[in-house]
Amino acid sequence: MQKALLGIDKISTFVGHAFSWLIVALTALMTWEIFSRRFFDSPHAWTFDAQIQLYGFLFMTAGAYTLAAQGMVRGDVLYGFLAPRVQATVDLVLYVCFFIPGIVALTYAGWIYAGESWAIGERSTVMSNGPPLYWFKSIIPFAGALIGVQGLVEITRCVLCLRDGEWPSRKEDVEEVDVDKLKEMVHVKDEDIAKLDDLVVQQEKKKAEAAGSHGEGAA
Amino acid sequence: MKVKIRKELIFGLALMAIVVISTLWAMPPLSKWSNGHYGLFMLSMIVVAIMLGFPTAFTLMGMGVIFTFIAYRSGAPSGIAIRQTLDLMTQRAYSVMTNDVLISVPLFVFMGYLVERAALIERLFKSLHLAIGRIPGSLAVATLATCAVFATATGIIGAVVTLMGLLAFPAMLRSKYDIKLSAGVITAGGTLGILIPPSVLLILYGATASVSVVQLYAGAFFPGIMLAGMYIVYVIVRAALNPRLAPKPPPEETRVDMPEWALRLSGGNVNRLAFPVIARALASGAAGIARSKLAVRFAMSLVPLVLIVAPVAVVYSAVTTVDVVDTGGLEEIGTEQAAEQEEFAGGVEEPPGSEEAAAAPAAAAKPPAAAEKPAVAEKPAAPLAAKASPSAPAPDRKPPPLWFWGLLALALVLLGVVYATLTFERLEILKMLLGSFFPLSALILAVLGSIIFGWATPTEAAAMGAAGGFVLAAGYGKLSLNLVKESAYLTAKTTAMVCWLFVGSSIFSAAFALLGGQQIIEHWVLSLHMTPVQFLLLTQVVIFLLGWPLEWTEIIVIFMPIFLPLVGIFQNDPNLHSSMGIDGKDLPLFFGLLVALNLQTAFLSPPVAMAAFYLKGVAPKHVTLNQIFAGMMPFMAIQVFALVVLYLFPDIGLWLPHLVYK
Repeated sequence: MQKALLGIDKISTFVGHAFSWLIVALTALMTWEIFSRRFFDSPHAWTFDAQIQLYGFLFMTAGAYTLAAQGMVRGDVLYGFLAPRVQATVDLVLYVCFFIPGIVALTYAGWIYAGESWAIGERSTVMSNGPPLYWFKSIIPFAGALIGVQGLVEITRCVLCLRDGEWPSRKEDVEEVDVDKLKEMVHVKDEDIAKLDDLVVQQEKKKAEAAGSHGEGAA
Repeated sequence: MKVKIRKELIFGLALMAIVVISTLWAMPPLSKWSNGHYGLFMLSMIVVAIMLGFPTAFTLMGMGVIFTFIAYRSGAPSGIAIRQTLDLMTQRAYSVMTNDVLISVPLFVFMGYLVERAALIERLFKSLHLAIGRIPGSLAVATLATCAVFATATGIIGAVVTLMGLLAFPAMLRSKYDIKLSAGVITAGGTLGILIPPSVLLILYGATASVSVVQLYAGAFFPGIMLAGMYIVYVIVRAALNPRLAPKPPPEETRVDMPEWALRLSGGNVNRLAFPVIARALASGAAGIARSKLAVRFAMSLVPLVLIVAPVAVVYSAVTTVDVVDTGGLEEIGTEQAAEQEEFAGGVEEPPGSEEAAAAPAAAAKPPAAAEKPAVAEKPAAPLAAKASPSAPAPDRKPPPLWFWGLLALALVLLGVVYATLTFERLEILKMLLGSFFPLSALILAVLGSIIFGWATPTEAAAMGAAGGFVLAAGYGKLSLNLVKESAYLTAKTTAMVCWLFVGSSIFSAAFALLGGQQIIEHWVLSLHMTPVQFLLLTQVVIFLLGWPLEWTEIIVIFMPIFLPLVGIFQNDPNLHSSMGIDGKDLPLFFGLLVALNLQTAFLSPPVAMAAFYLKGVAPKHVTLNQIFAGMMPFMAIQVFALVVLYLFPDIGLWLPHLVYK
């Protein structure tokens, strides 16, 4: 079971990783276009469509990846303080109530939407003879389906968590705040922080003493 | 510990109960519910669902689709309603996919990750601290300044707070700084990045409110600087009043590492004036010291001259030009820039052969100094103009006003002071600044400047910023495939998080509008007969309160679509100008600035004060969360104070947009 879950994680992550390189392409394309337009006086009309599509592909396909990597923003007033089983119950109920209807509707609607685009061979109207749009629109059902499958994985995880009382493990991915890496970057070791602790304790003690003597003085 | 967990749970549950009960209390009995009441019910449900902790994007999407169906169903048979709902969903998703404002989000985020990984924060902090070592609370002030610059360039709150928690927190503790004050400056400083442009928050607001991101950036610049300035003043005043809070750091923390040859040249006295000695040595040749090194130092010692003269020259050319918005003049400056740029880069660049192992940090600092060309260019442009214009005044110049001569005198005095105190030690500090502070601020100013002055669209400037991030990372020798890969992956995740949230919220707000929840709120607000001032106060208080349980992204994407139509109503209020001193057309912009400033508090207000948890994660274990929270409170008070100041003097925010886009 765990193997299958991790396997689907892997697919989502692979797609997300593959498409995330589009940001490098987007940067390069726009930088090139700015130079080309400003300094060589030769703008390219198609870059507007291209940049929009690169951006659209980038974030739509990264949806499932972000879900798999638990990168979707959640309110954390309560959640972090709940026991795993309660977390799983809350998640399970909300996945069924909101996630499934939302994603199923989006995927189905996107399927029709993209199908219509394919049927008429739709092209962008930003410029004359613009690039095709049907590929771009197909990304809606594609991304929706990917997120849907990833959602099923998450639902299974909730069930497993309800059974075992703890969350099944996940594969690690690059993190925004990777404390160990940051420590390495600024050359700080755990011992240094531990040493500092004495200073903190000292300061606290001094403060407590000061407060104590002050209290006595007042009395 | 057990008791503590209970407390948090009770707090969260109580919040939810308050939302549910107040909704039920305010609503008519269920049998009398209209569609609009369903909308309001949906709104309170979403707040509860978010607090439960489910990924917000999907909560919004799911609730949106269900309630959209309900709304359509009330006017049409099921089949048509389903069809309409599906159409609405794709149309909303597609509009986010083709949103030409949101496209700058991944670019700015990418720039942030690249800059963060260029790993110059350590050097930045050290050099800033040495540069201001004499003022009270210097470590805390340096922390704030580092945060402001680094957080602005990267926009990644978590990383900035963590890094400063690793760098500045230990330094402050070793100097026996008060724990609360230290925690406060790190958390407050780290969150500045979300206000000072280029920030993602302003892009999101611009996309939601259809306010130009350019104007928002121009508008948020001074309020951001003002807030940072207020933090700094607060710290200095407190440190001056009570030196025990922020004692002078021990000498080993403030020692400047001088290269051996510089020590020799100064005759062992680091407080000797550097400029004449180096100039003489360069002219006559000093024994055993490579010319190239002297030339580099000499060029560096000229930087203050350029930095002081340039603005004066810019002002001179601005006040004496007859037609200020003359595109010809702009082009001229551009060409001069290019010429000066080359000279400057040539002066700073170290010949490849002269590098030595002992001066490793110095060598590392060099490439960025050269790499920062594009941004420094803005400044060096002027001296040429200054030299040229007085000698040969063009016929289209008018004589400068009297205050200009005052400014000139001030600049000359400043110049005198700088060079009378530019010792060998200070020159070394200046060199460190050139390797850390200047490239970063140059990058920020280049990105911002080109947006505000209309040379590039925000999207283009963001792309150039990302390219600048590449250059910066390369300059510090950190550019590698792995770095690009990690930055790209993180960018994909952050962008997906933000944009999927946008997809969800645009479906959600469509449902809210379809149900007519908006009308009910508008009726209610209108029935209160509020003045514009009262309205702004009310909304800011609401946003402030929402900032406690919710995060800023959620507030922007869910609540702004509800508030903005109300702003639209008050835009046309005849009392607006007389009571607030701003025009109706500026109100959405001004509202955005207030919101951006206000949402700073969302980062510092427990229990979802992200900043506090990041700091706790790297702090010594006896530093408690309560201490960190307590340290943040004065800064939250300053934020509220800044909000009031901006409110009373809207020109702080509106002056620059007016100046540039009149």
